[in-house]
Amino acid sequence: MRITIECYGASARWCGSDAITLDLADGATGADALDALADRYPDFAARRDNVAIASGDAIASPTAPLVDGDVIALIPPVSAG
Amino acid sequence: MSALKTQPRVRDGALNLADWLADPQPATAGALNVFAGTVRNIHEGNAVSGMTYHAHRGLAEARLREIEAAAEARFKVHALVAHAVGKLEIGEISVIVVIRGGHRAEGFEACRWTIDTIKAAVPIWKEEHYVDGEARFLEGVPIQPVESL
Repeated sequence: MRITIECYGASARWCGSDAITLDLADGATGADALDALADRYPDFAARRDNVAIASGDAIASPTAPLVDGDVIALIPPVSAG
Repeated sequence: MSALKTQPRVRDGALNLADWLADPQPATAGALNVFAGTVRNIHEGNAVSGMTYHAHRGLAEARLREIEAAAEARFKVHALVAHAVGKLEIGEISVIVVIRGGHRAEGFEACRWTIDTIKAAVPIWKEEHYVDGEARFLEGVPIQPVESL
């Protein structure tokens, strides 16, 4: 399956793009997507454990399975205020 | 309902404090507490020229409204919050918390809790611009659920 990852904040710098397309095995989860990104982008790998995933307008569980065509967002550590 | 409660809480450009104080004070309230965060010209010894606020707009909007509701339930006050996105200059307002309550004690407490919770639970990121032309995203904190704070 193919998913799209939107990179917010500094994660766009770590991954070199605002949006990335990933091909994953059927049944893959958000955590699998983060693992794939970590394999591809060393700057992301160093920060992976502090990055959350959003789906739509909510934080998503990293253990939730993805489906073909999903769009998820990387939410790196926040600095509002 | 307050007219301001129908407005988006994530706004393009610097916030105008007067705009967010336009609601009438409830007759039962004896305190109005306001916090406004502004862009300062120095950070960790570096001369700052401005700040760009980036957001996951949909989630940030949902979280700001969730924080308002949580503050109202927890402290029995009226709460209103707003956060800017985009490029702001030194001295401009990036975030506003308005709390209207019965007494100053819960007003101060609610105001402090609300801004602290915004900082930990809202997907907004500061990109700081320096006078030497460099820019960088500030280190933040892993996003937290509102109910955990």
